[in-house]
Amino acid sequence: MTLPFLASDAGAAGLGVALAVGVAFGWGLERAGLGNARRLAGQFFGTDFTVLKVLFSAIVTAMLGVFWLAQMGILDPARVYVPETWLLPQAVGGALFGVGMVAGGLCPGTSCVAAAAGRRDGLAVMGGMLAGILLFAAAFPLIDQLYEATPAGTLTFPDLLRVPPGTVVAAVVAMALGAFAGVEAFERRAALRPGGAS
Amino acid sequence: MSAIDFAAAAPARIAMPAPAVRARPYASPYLAGVGIGLVLLAAYVTVGHGLGASGGFTSVAVAGVAAVAPEQAAASPVLGGYLGGGGRGPLADWLVIELIGVALGGYLSARLAGRARRTVERGPRVTDRARLMYGFGGGVVMGLGAKLARGCTSGQALTGGALLSVGSWIFIATAFAAAFAAAPLFRREWT
Amino acid sequence: MSGRAPRAHRLLAIAAATLGALALVAGGAGATRQGVDVVALAREVEAEADHVTARELAAWIRDGREGLRIVDVRTPAEFADYAIPTAENLSLTALTRAAIRPDETVVLYSEGGAHAAQGWFLLRARGVKRVYFLREGLYEWLTQVMTPVLPDGASAADRAAFDSAAELSRYFGGVPRAGGGASVDGDASAALPGASAEGGSAAAVRRVRRRGC
Repeated sequence: MTLPFLASDAGAAGLGVALAVGVAFGWGLERAGLGNARRLAGQFFGTDFTVLKVLFSAIVTAMLGVFWLAQMGILDPARVYVPETWLLPQAVGGALFGVGMVAGGLCPGTSCVAAAAGRRDGLAVMGGMLAGILLFAAAFPLIDQLYEATPAGTLTFPDLLRVPPGTVVAAVVAMALGAFAGVEAFERRAALRPGGAS
Repeated sequence: MSAIDFAAAAPARIAMPAPAVRARPYASPYLAGVGIGLVLLAAYVTVGHGLGASGGFTSVAVAGVAAVAPEQAAASPVLGGYLGGGGRGPLADWLVIELIGVALGGYLSARLAGRARRTVERGPRVTDRARLMYGFGGGVVMGLGAKLARGCTSGQALTGGALLSVGSWIFIATAFAAAFAAAPLFRREWT
Repeated sequence: MSGRAPRAHRLLAIAAATLGALALVAGGAGATRQGVDVVALAREVEAEADHVTARELAAWIRDGREGLRIVDVRTPAEFADYAIPTAENLSLTALTRAAIRPDETVVLYSEGGAHAAQGWFLLRARGVKRVYFLREGLYEWLTQVMTPVLPDGASAADRAAFDSAAELSRYFGGVPRAGGGASVDGDASAALPGASAEGGSAAAVRRVRRRGC
């Protein structure tokens, strides 16, 4: 039997997975302190690197997991949904998102964590997100050209660069470890470690 | 003793939030990250797709609109697809349940670590009210960005990033770059 | 941070570096590499176990066969213009990553059958057990199911076969015809049906899967 083993994510099993995955995700985010908007925003002032550490640790872990499970024939990667690439909308949307993130101090997922932990600013961000989505829907006729621009379909780096997936995996690991080393060195020099929390 | 007092005691340049005295310190971001990565992997191997968040928000927004103006919701090219029976059906529900889980997990973790409290996280130079307005405004912009990009940090950066999707990494790059570039505009809010 | 955490970090970093380096050596994974038993597949083709006729497919649809998935591998524009009722539209590339349950029966079709046959091979190579295609594609559907013709001078057996085909055809809103070109049901217009002819069933059950985050 190859994984993924649930063909659809509807039904009791699929939604049970949703809940379990969500709880674990929220737990992990809160443990890392990303439910705290000041900590998250600190990333963009160079005072706190939790966002970078968590994001790249998670990416590397999942990426290595997918690669090796596929290598061993346990996981059929063709059956794992890869988000499609839309060059321009994702570049512009990403930039907008980044601005929103430093202004709001939370992203959609962490805003739920913050709100659940009692942070009223978490609720504010969640409310803003809903409003932003509705604004997008209302303004859609104005931006649908941008929205539909430059589709590239399912495009991964191995496809794009015409190199084996293992090469890209190795490069991402190297980049992540390099970034971690650089950040650790920077933190040591800036003495960013009052006792207790880091 | 609030988090603000701790921060004031530290060098002014470092606006680092510290948890209150009786709260447990945060976990190592690397360990938490690996844990999140394993959760993401678990999603891939069980249901064949990764995490998400902004999609769940869209479902909630659509449900809200559908409750007050069903024809508008159905007619919207953006919202219509999220209505029951539309093309997105099962995945939309999945994300909403996932987000409920995220809130639950976040609450449990905060509670057990002594970090759950009704407060507003903000820098020392802004009022609660100003911070909430920034938060809302930031949320609006993120909502726009996430819809354009077909995802957010959970759906694109994490999920697509781990699967080496080019668009997802473009998202990561532009989001980080824009956030760093825009940070000086929000210095007052945080430091 | 306690002294333990940095040690755990070091171990994780070493593990990641090792797995990354090994990945570089291992090279490829993924859908592009699949072990394929070409001999078995060739035998299936020769035994004609790879395709179904349009009438068989029509009967499956009418009888509500469990787990039936009809896949149109043409372009979205062609699909929107006319499609077999209950069909979904997937390109060949989309087919390589489509989630197909073991209990489902996939029937592929294209304009004339070539792409569908190639899609058959792709899915068999992916290990999908029950997959067939329409050998002559949509053309076969339109001529055999939607507008079956009873030739002049047909035998009794032919007549019987035509009657059941005609019944099937009517189910889909088709127009059975006698050899002279006139409709058996006395309908003057023997035009090929457009997308609306099947009572909206084609449009209604088109399952388009679009996902986001």
